[in-house]
Amino acid sequence: MKLIKTLLVAVVALLSFTACDAKIKNAKTETVKIFGNCEMCKKTIEKAGNLKNIAEVDWNEKSKMATLTYDATKTNSDEILKRVALAGYDSNEFLAPNDAYAKLPECCQYERNTKKMAMVVPAEKMNHDAHANHKMASSDVDQKATILKPVFDAYFGIKDALVKTDGATASAKAKTLVTAINGVKMESLPMDVHMVWMKVLKDLKEDAEHIADTKDATHQRDHFGTLSKNVYALLKVSKGETPTYYQFCPMANNGKGANWLSKESAIKNPYYGSKMLSCGSTVETIK
Amino acid sequence: MKIYPILILLLFAISITAQKIVRYDLYVKDTLVNFTGKSKRAIAVNGQIPMPTLTFTEGDIAEIHVHNQLKESTSLHWHGIFLPNQEDGVPFLTQMPIKPGETYVYKFPVIQNGTHWYHSHSGMQEQIGMYGSLIMKKKLDDPDFRKGIDDLPTIPVMLSEWTDYNPDNVHRMLHNASDWFAIKKGTTQSYTEAIKAGHFKTKVNNEWKRMMAMDVSDVYYDAFLINGKKENEFPQPFKAGDKVRLRISNGGASSYFWLTYAGGKITVVANDGNDVVPVEVDRLIIGVSETYDVVVTIPADDTAFEFLATPEDRTKSTSIYLGKGIKQLTSPLPKLDYFEGMKMMNGMMNMDGTMNEMGMGMSLQKMDMNAVMYPEITGSGTKEMKHTPEEPMKMDDGGKMDHSNHNMEASSTDIVTLNYSMLKSPTVTTLPKDAPVRELRFELTGNMNRYLWSMDNKVLSESDKILIKKGETLRIVLYNNSMMRHPMHLHGHDFRVLNGQGEYSPLKNVLDIMPMETDTIEFSANADGDWFFHCHILYHMMAGMNRVFSYENSAPNPLLPDKAWAYRQLQKESNMSHLMAENDFATNGNDGRAMVQNARWSFGTEWRLGYNDMHGYETETHIGRYIGKNQWFMPFIGFDWRYRKFGHDEEEKNMFGQRNTKDNRSVLSIGADYTLPWLVIAQAEVFTDGKVRMQLSREDIPISPRIRMAFMVNTDKEYMGGLKYILTKNSGISTHYDSDMGWGFGLTLNY
Repeated sequence: MKLIKTLLVAVVALLSFTACDAKIKNAKTETVKIFGNCEMCKKTIEKAGNLKNIAEVDWNEKSKMATLTYDATKTNSDEILKRVALAGYDSNEFLAPNDAYAKLPECCQYERNTKKMAMVVPAEKMNHDAHANHKMASSDVDQKATILKPVFDAYFGIKDALVKTDGATASAKAKTLVTAINGVKMESLPMDVHMVWMKVLKDLKEDAEHIADTKDATHQRDHFGTLSKNVYALLKVSKGETPTYYQFCPMANNGKGANWLSKESAIKNPYYGSKMLSCGSTVETIK
Repeated sequence: MKIYPILILLLFAISITAQKIVRYDLYVKDTLVNFTGKSKRAIAVNGQIPMPTLTFTEGDIAEIHVHNQLKESTSLHWHGIFLPNQEDGVPFLTQMPIKPGETYVYKFPVIQNGTHWYHSHSGMQEQIGMYGSLIMKKKLDDPDFRKGIDDLPTIPVMLSEWTDYNPDNVHRMLHNASDWFAIKKGTTQSYTEAIKAGHFKTKVNNEWKRMMAMDVSDVYYDAFLINGKKENEFPQPFKAGDKVRLRISNGGASSYFWLTYAGGKITVVANDGNDVVPVEVDRLIIGVSETYDVVVTIPADDTAFEFLATPEDRTKSTSIYLGKGIKQLTSPLPKLDYFEGMKMMNGMMNMDGTMNEMGMGMSLQKMDMNAVMYPEITGSGTKEMKHTPEEPMKMDDGGKMDHSNHNMEASSTDIVTLNYSMLKSPTVTTLPKDAPVRELRFELTGNMNRYLWSMDNKVLSESDKILIKKGETLRIVLYNNSMMRHPMHLHGHDFRVLNGQGEYSPLKNVLDIMPMETDTIEFSANADGDWFFHCHILYHMMAGMNRVFSYENSAPNPLLPDKAWAYRQLQKESNMSHLMAENDFATNGNDGRAMVQNARWSFGTEWRLGYNDMHGYETETHIGRYIGKNQWFMPFIGFDWRYRKFGHDEEEKNMFGQRNTKDNRSVLSIGADYTLPWLVIAQAEVFTDGKVRMQLSREDIPISPRIRMAFMVNTDKEYMGGLKYILTKNSGISTHYDSDMGWGFGLTLNY
């Protein structure tokens, strides 16, 4: 026991010794420009640049100049500025990654003074726009409204939200689904569809309400499994204008497997979201 | 009459212009490098690491003079090259090792084009510098010359890694299940970390299934290198819109690299030296020993764009800046979420140690199970935050990631990652239709705990050469039933990867196969001699994950007069014995053990030496053989010796009522070890004096990143419990209570 004590004392003494010795050795000082905006930027910049006992950054909000003090035997200004840039702040040496800049709080999004960047950004934007257009186009395809279309649309809305593990949107879409279900004029449904509708109506509503009531995607997914089965039964008799893919992931639902419907043949798994996006296969194409 | 000599002269002249001999002289020499602040031994060729880039044009004759100025033998293998067997550069398979002081000439006609590389095939030399680019250019009048691709400026990019440890020692540590690399990486996945991450059940379940901490790579590296540097530059003043072609080879001994680019998309134009139809991606992973040719665009003037290579374990990274001016960075890949991966593995692992792919038909890198660990894909970093805000580890990242949540969620599903099904050859690659087809199946097998890697559960030293016939088509079905991915490489041939592209299936010579995947490759047996087929992770290869394809009725290889003997040497090389030893110098005595093991055999001895006769002295020696794929079962024969003096003749009684003074005993025994769930080792032993002993023990229970717990109980009513704090690779401080020797506190040294 005594030995342990002595050892502990020794360790503590050693630790406190190093803690006291928190000065930068072989200090070299440099003043450089770092782009930024506000007090909040100051914190982020300095936190990113500082390295205990090796580098210290002091950034001036007004002049946008930073004083770098560092141990010249261990690091250099490039290493410090690279860390700062990776946190989202440009300097004369480094341009921050676009996503790092985009992640900065709004107040920190200083004006980037590079027209060079203009080359990069629009390119990405264009891609994005193109993508958005694409998505819109695909959902515009089924224009011929059937009576159940709002129900199916709301279902696909939930599915897309779950693919992104976005519980809030899923909940909102589920509310739409409840409204859509209530709005269906049963009497105008063809006979065979009507029969199925009657059979699934109660469960359909219940699952939709459960999904609407929570923003927890895990819980939503539990109900999404049965919801999908019922929507499948409906879709199978009523048919859509565009092919719909009935897909299956053997891992979902604790290894019991679960189905969902999708308008794309490519697998985007709503049960795991992006974690296992591509898990599953199409088991049936409904045309 | 006179026309003949002229004609001959003319022919001769033509053959000279057509068959240009391109000669390189390579001087292989020991050198010192310093990547970490410490000087360490490495091997340089012509004074440089990587080795010089060798450039040929299709149609040349390559003549490479290797001057071995090392104190050990060496060799050079031309990776991905079609050449006569005796030029292939595998010691004891196609040639004898190049002895110290010897000059050796490799000479072969260049009958292909593309990005290839070359490396030593001797021991661990590839890890310490012996890798270099080998570029074979297309002829300008090649009908397959692709304008806009083949005429771009090119940069050879050689990826590699560096460890300050001697690679032989690295290999030994891997076999001894040292978790020092995990400590260095911060991937111990201990119980306290698991509890903090809310994954205690995951960890228990994982160990219950007899798995050790999981990782995507085995070795901790001190540095990752592009063309021999941690950060490299290519400061050519590019203009906005310029394109550049990178000829990338992964010369790392065991690291896969993610490739990302600050200037936007990456266009893949060739793989393993074979053209593919250009395909645009956001990122790709390059397996060990693969090559990829990619085209990137420089989007702006006066800017250097970062091309980032991140090893799969994401511990560090290396980059090259393309262009001159201010440096445009790209974001580093976020740290892996190991417990998510562990959870996934638990789901996939059967209790008997086999993998269960749940009928998903996984193949061709299409479904990366590791993706559950990628925060940039799952966006889990933030989600975890919301659910468990008390989690300090995540908070650090969280501060930065908080605002990103939205962006990431929206964009994560849009990241395009290359996989093999996206590779398509621009030309038809079908094999001769009338050739007989032979199908071979290999199951890739492994045992992480003992670092045993094999095919069909046999290492090279347990398998004969596989005979093949010239003219037949070999279709090989590979199934990876191990927990690691393996880059399988075939020497001297390209194979078609059956990836759904039909006649345009891509040609490769390295196939990365992820756990649980099944892939089919086929190639035309159109050569002669003996060709290696092996996992290109150096440490897996040296553990025995190899086979040899041997053409029946091959012409004898003049370099290897006694092939049977040579093959035995080759087998021996990949099943070396490994020593491990440790001793705890404690206040209550010395506790220790030493073991020599190879793939199947274990020779181990344990000792407990007190400081006086009362405490006693004892040793137990076991010689055992591991049985089965998982190697959970090890029968052994043993020898026990002990001496102790109680002062008065006190007798002990074991749980079976057998009496023993234990004062002086030397007996033989037979028994067996069996690894139970939760990695507990059960041991039953019967001694020549009729005594029986059963024992349960476990060592190295990871309590915290550096604290390990151990316990032992047996039917002799002996028990032991201890804790160890790991200080360095070779030392720790420990405390334990032993029923014979009492409390002890001491210093553990291990080798």
